[in-house]
Amino acid sequence: MVRLNYDVIVVGGGPAGMAAAITCARAGLDTILLERGRFAGAKNLFGGVVYTASVLSLVPDLFSASRLPFERPVTEEGWWILSQDGVVKITHTNATLRESPPRAFTAFRAKFDAWLAKQAQKAGVLVVPKVRVIDLLIKDNFVCGVQTDRTASWDDHRPAQVKAPVVILAEGVNRILSIKAGLVPRDFSPKEVALSVKEVLQLPKGELESRFGLQKDTGLAVELLGEASLGLPGTGFLYTNTSCLSLGVGLFLIDYATHNIKPYALLEHLKRHPVLAPLLAEAETLEYGAHLIPEWGFFGLAKLCGNGVLAVGDAVGLVNPLFREGTNLAIYSGILAGKAAIYAHKKGNFGYHTLRLYEEALKDSYIYQDLRYFRKLKTFLQQNKSFFQTYPYLLNEVLHLYLTAQGRAKQEVFKEICQLIRKQRGVTGLLGDFVRAMKFLKGW
Amino acid sequence: MAARALPEVNIDDKVFTLKYYVDEQKSHLSLRDPGLCLKCAQKPCLSFCPVGVYRLDAQGQVVVGYQACVECGSCRVACPLHNIKWDYPRGGYGVAYKFG
Repeated sequence: MVRLNYDVIVVGGGPAGMAAAITCARAGLDTILLERGRFAGAKNLFGGVVYTASVLSLVPDLFSASRLPFERPVTEEGWWILSQDGVVKITHTNATLRESPPRAFTAFRAKFDAWLAKQAQKAGVLVVPKVRVIDLLIKDNFVCGVQTDRTASWDDHRPAQVKAPVVILAEGVNRILSIKAGLVPRDFSPKEVALSVKEVLQLPKGELESRFGLQKDTGLAVELLGEASLGLPGTGFLYTNTSCLSLGVGLFLIDYATHNIKPYALLEHLKRHPVLAPLLAEAETLEYGAHLIPEWGFFGLAKLCGNGVLAVGDAVGLVNPLFREGTNLAIYSGILAGKAAIYAHKKGNFGYHTLRLYEEALKDSYIYQDLRYFRKLKTFLQQNKSFFQTYPYLLNEVLHLYLTAQGRAKQEVFKEICQLIRKQRGVTGLLGDFVRAMKFLKGW
Repeated sequence: MAARALPEVNIDDKVFTLKYYVDEQKSHLSLRDPGLCLKCAQKPCLSFCPVGVYRLDAQGQVVVGYQACVECGSCRVACPLHNIKWDYPRGGYGVAYKFG
């Protein structure tokens, strides 16, 4: 780092930070991006599915590249609802989902984010890896730069300070700098984040395609419910990559602590599930990993900007776990924050009242509307346990009874089904759950 | 939650698949007061840490194997006594995912 003054500093090289940096650099702003990993993506992990539209909004000539930064198109998706030894599968595919260009792809963070870094460099961003930002420089109530953990030069052993009138925080879920910037009053609690673990599994050659019925240009992305999370609020996932699988599971962090569940034991339990085990036979683990997902939602939302500072992506909590949105929201928020930085430079004013162009734009977008609409999601999931601990198992039992009813009086079978439902949830419970689910889905 | 016996897993086999650049000079995780852990009955850190950074030694003391840390941040907020001094590793050190 020779020069230490820039127009914009972006902290963090994930999709949110890259989107912000690319947007700024394309408008001619002198932009530096600081990333603590050895390369952009080295510290990042997700399920993961990337939505094409969000990438196109940042890189319009995406499909002119000879090699795409993705794995497989997602052409079939849905849910596998697991009981202890069975499954009810609800997945969907149609011609639209198989059209080109695909609307979603499976991907790996270490590859996708590194590719985004290349796009950023092309746009003129100075991407500097292996540098950690340890603090913010604040003067007269304005964030005006960052303190790094790297020395300024060979001769000067003091930690280097990098200065810019706008600092964009794309620090990820552990929003430490956002707290220092005064954007969030407190740290999150273990009830507000999900801890997910994932394994990348290599199957013997050709087995991925044959076991999951895939062609070269088709792919499967399913969420695993019920036994995957031991009936606790949470989900598993199974995504097909080019030649391997991503299998993972996540619960609220508090539930691992309360029930003494080891995340890797939970994942192993899933791998040994009678339905999954044959699909994973002879699989070799290429990589294991873990990540926190910010699920504090609307009520835990950080302030989006302050004097000289903007926050984007996971650091703010822009995630919709119901619809598997995160990476796309990170990109959209990065673009909007970048636009506010450009506007501030045009005006020559970097105060909150200028930068809140970003806040206004985000509040006008579907991202904020969804956050508000699903503001009760966490409470709903944590209070309505039957959706995880009763219905997945009940559904399996009911379907089993129905599908094995041959050779019996069907009236007796239906009676048995009704008894089962009454025993496990009861008519009042069922009706109550229905009403609560409808109220939730209506956004009340 | 219905009681389940989850399988025993040797987490070291999983950690083995990860690539790390370990900072040999400085641990980014430490216990503020190691004595406090002895008073913690539940010790949830032994469970929730996804890479088993926190383990018990022969004397029943919690020990920190920061080398395996994937920097997720769970222990930063889930230690009931807030006894874990948490930091990111120095720039360039720590985990480096190949896939992620």
